[in-house]
Amino acid sequence: MATNDQLQVIIENLRSAVPELRGVIVATTDGLAIAHSLSSGDANRIAAMVATALGLGKRICDTIGGGALSETSFSGATGQVYVYAGGAKGVLGVLAGPGSNVGLIHLEARDAAGKIQQILG
Amino acid sequence: MNSPVKLVISGPVGAGKTTFIQTLSDSPVVSTDEEASEDIGKAMTTVALDFGTLNVEDYPIYLFGTPGQERFDFMWEVLCEGAYGLILLIAGDRPRDFPQARRILEFITTQTPIPFLIAVTRQDMEQVWTPEEVSEYFGVDPSLACGLDARDQQSAYETLFRMFELINASASEQVA
Ligand SMILES: Nc1nc2c(ncn2[C@@H]2O[C@H](COP(=O)(O)OP(=O)(O)OP(=O)(O)O)[C@@H](O)[C@H]2O)c(=O)[nH]1
Ligand SMILES: [Mg+2]
Repeated sequence: MATNDQLQVIIENLRSAVPELRGVIVATTDGLAIAHSLSSGDANRIAAMVATALGLGKRICDTIGGGALSETSFSGATGQVYVYAGGAKGVLGVLAGPGSNVGLIHLEARDAAGKIQQILG
Repeated sequence: MNSPVKLVISGPVGAGKTTFIQTLSDSPVVSTDEEASEDIGKAMTTVALDFGTLNVEDYPIYLFGTPGQERFDFMWEVLCEGAYGLILLIAGDRPRDFPQARRILEFITTQTPIPFLIAVTRQDMEQVWTPEEVSEYFGVDPSLACGLDARDQQSAYETLFRMFELINASASEQVA
């Protein structure tokens, strides 16, 4: 299966495991969208933003002696985004609404991030 | 100690923003370069910011570098908040990037009207636009453009001092 198709399968599996998600995106660490399923929003812009968040998060982790960054998140009054490292080359962004099951999101998304790492190398 | 002077370093991909800050900074530079997945003529590209500091006389100078790729334009806005001046770096041997440089300059100066200096790198290359030619392209006074080698400390310092002159000139204009 082509890389994009494999990633699309991971994205669809994640969306069906956590139906309340608003969107899932996989991007390169330099901010290019590779595959996504978004209910709304501009994939290219979100791809760039999750890459920025991950890139900055990595340096913050370095600075505080936190080692390799695995994830970071942003929570607003009416929405949240969770950002996971998908190996050295990928970023997984997961968008959710208020009152989502954070435990379930982490459980499923960490698993997806591991698979993305294997695919992207 | 005076309060810090914040400067923003922007410009297209490969202009030398990260290099410029690394050349000038006295503190370890916070850099957020990631592997470039497209062919942009170099291996790494900035995705969030560069941050470096130095002291000039009694002034702490904070240098904030932006990413150059257009998809990160939201960072231009974020990083320009509270800046005293903008150094717009442009590779003089890459005229195809000039329109992008113009977009960055217009984007930033309409959001945050601050003094700017157009600093043209790669003057050591054979086929290169001089600062005068670049100022003509931008339709600005030649005094707002200079040439430099972002890898060279002396050259980077001269650019920084030229920026300070422009900031001082604009400050005294506002007083007058
Ligand atoms: N020959 C020459 N090379 C230069 C000069 N200034 C910078 N460089 C080189 O040009 C490249 C610039 O790369 P960066 O500093 O990463 O460029 P950047 O503007 O930060 O690029 P992005 O973050 O991708 O937008 C480096 O390889 C520098 O060594 C110059 O005046 N002459
Ligand atoms: Mg850079």
